Formats: sequence, structure tokens, C-alpha cells
Amino acid sequence: MNSEDSVLPPTSVPPTSVPPTSVPDDDLDGHTMQELSDYLDRERTPFDASIESSAACRLALAGMTRLQELSWTAMTRQSALDPHRDDAWITGLLDTIKAEVVAGRDVPISHPDPTLRLALTEAAVRGMVRRAGDTLGGVIMGRCTLDGDITTPGEPIRVEVTASLRYGLGAGDAADQLRERIASALHRHTELVVDTIDVTIDDIYLEDGSGS
Amino acid sequence: MGEAESRDSLEEASDATLASRAADGDTHAFEILARRHGPLMRVFSAKLLGSDIESDDVVQEAFLIGWRHIGDLDSPANIRNWLMRIVTRKAIDRIRVRRIHDDIDDWDPPASPETSPERVVMARLQMDAVWDALDKLPPDQRRCWLLRESAGYSYQEIGDSLGLPISTVRGLLSRARRFLLTEMEAWR
Repeated sequence: MNSEDSVLPPTSVPPTSVPPTSVPDDDLDGHTMQELSDYLDRERTPFDASIESSAACRLALAGMTRLQELSWTAMTRQSALDPHRDDAWITGLLDTIKAEVVAGRDVPISHPDPTLRLALTEAAVRGMVRRAGDTLGGVIMGRCTLDGDITTPGEPIRVEVTASLRYGLGAGDAADQLRERIASALHRHTELVVDTIDVTIDDIYLEDGSGS
Repeated sequence: MGEAESRDSLEEASDATLASRAADGDTHAFEILARRHGPLMRVFSAKLLGSDIESDDVVQEAFLIGWRHIGDLDSPANIRNWLMRIVTRKAIDRIRVRRIHDDIDDWDPPASPETSPERVVMARLQMDAVWDALDKLPPDQRRCWLLRESAGYSYQEIGDSLGLPISTVRGLLSRARRFLLTEMEAWR
């Protein structure tokens, strides 16, 4: 990096003019910038020996690639400058989507008073299943499907879930514990007759948050 | 192991897991997706639009569309790209409306605070220089470049979005690259 006074500050260039450039246009060993630009966008395939054997072309290609990386890094950095910058629109978004959650089918709950009709929503039951798995530790729940006629009391149903497992844990043990917890949560909070609980471990996650 | 732990662990979930849950109606999973990817998309759309304020509306609108149509998403692992496309489309819609109403095709963004003396000192970092240099490009060049490099659009898609022939897109892109390369060299 140069010392500051050896370079022109960005303000010295009028906004709309493209200044004379030191980056050559048409003397890149017989190739133009546009050709190189197209070649880069084709991911440098098919291999062009004439371009790849020219030092000037390779330099320009390296510069363009560096440009892509730099702008991505700059964009990431800009987006992280103020951690609360996005709170307002995300809060607004959540207010709207929370009002739009689809409740799904009604899962009836019996009550001693026959004039009272109680029900849980399917969405609430799925939330319950997810929470049972998430609080186990080492497991992050994915999809949850309630298969069968959940609207008729006593009708056996099948619960199908997918889950992501923390790297290093045994899938068999985790699936068994998960089944147990889901069964117990559903037993405690609903009157659903659960026939089977199918667990699919479809992802492994690392502590730092990257998926498999 | 309580609720607190489950909230933390969800932040470590992959995009695919979060997208699956969001499709099941889990708003918290969608919130994490918005917090994970929204800020970058907001910065991108601000650059594309040349407006920091409008970009908030664009990302909010785009994520809302994403929520409503998440069932259409083929592969939950692709949610980031999918949302990025919606953001891009929404931003371009605004540019089009602006063209119709104001007829200012060569509209330029207002001078950003990045030209203040403090920022110039900080801008010694090459990446800041490149980021700032984008503002000096004519709007069509800047848009082509952002659509290509940040949104990953093909020439055809850029042409369709901006209403330009592909030959023009190619020319604008290569001119943008040449200019940005020159700017980058000045900071080396």
C-alpha cells in the first residue's frame, strides 16, 4: 500500500467522466479487454492458449478476478459496519409475516364440558415438535410433517422430521433420543396417537455455523 | 437445556435447515435468514439503486415475497441466491419506474459521505477504493457490473432486466471493468 500522499484521492475524478486509462484496451497481445472480459465470464473455458500464454492478458484477468473479490469483501464489510442498521426493516418484516403464518389443520383436544370445543393448530404442534428437538442439544430441527388424519381423535398418525446433527455426534443415538423427546412432548401436550416417528438426519453442522 | 440454547443453536443452522423450517411456518428461522443475508442484499440494492433509503424498502419487500413463496423454492439450500434474485428484480423494478416518471436515465447518486476527509484516509484500503469507484461509473455501467459480479446474472439476463441488447451489455461491462481496474491500480 502506498503512502497516502502518493495517490490521488477519489474526489479528484469528476463523477461522470471516465479518465484516460493506463489499462490498455487493444494492445493485450492482440486481445481486447472485451474479449478478456467475455473469456472470464465463460470461466476461462474453453481454454484459450493465446490468451493464457500472454503475460499481459493474464495480468488483466488476474486484475479482474481480484476486482470481483475486492468488491465482494467491500460489500460484506459495508453490510457489517452498523449491526443495528437493518433492525428497522427486519422488525417490520417480522410483524407482517407473523400475522401471515398459516395455522394449518385443527388438532382437537377433548374437554370434560361437551359444549367446549378445543383445538391446537397444526402450526403450534409442529412448533412443539421443533422445540422438543432443538432443546435436546446437538440437534437442529428441519422439516416437520404430520402425516395422517390429525383432525380425528384416536386416529393413528405418523410424524416425519428432518434434523441436522452437530459434527461428532452419533446419528443413531441422536435419532433415538429425538424420537423419545418428540413422543413425550406430543403425549404431554396433545391427544394425538403417534404410530411412528421417522427421523432423517439430513445435514451435519459445525459449531461455527457452517452447514455440511 | 432451555430455550436460550435452542435460539443460539438455530443461528448455527445451515441455510437449508432454516429455509425448510421457514417453509413450515417458523418465523424465527426466517428472521435468522433475514439477519444473515439481508444486510448484504441491502448494501447491494443501495448500490444498484444509488439510494440508501429506498434499499430498505426493496429488501423488506423482497423478503416478504420470499416468505410468501417459499413453498416454490426447489432446493432450500439455494435460498440465498433465490432471495438475491428477488431483491435484484425489485430494485430493477424501481429503476424502471424512475425512468418512466422522471425520465432521468443518467441519474447520479448524491455524493456519499465516503468522500469526507476522514473517509478518504480510510479509503486507503483498496477494497474501499473499488467500492467508491463504483459510484463514479455511469449508471448503466455500474448496474451491468453489479448485476454481473454481485448478482451473478448472465449477459442475457442483464440485457432483459435493463432493456439493453446483449452487445451493449458486453460493451458496458468491459468498459466498467477497465475503469475499475485503473482505479484499483491507483491504490496499489
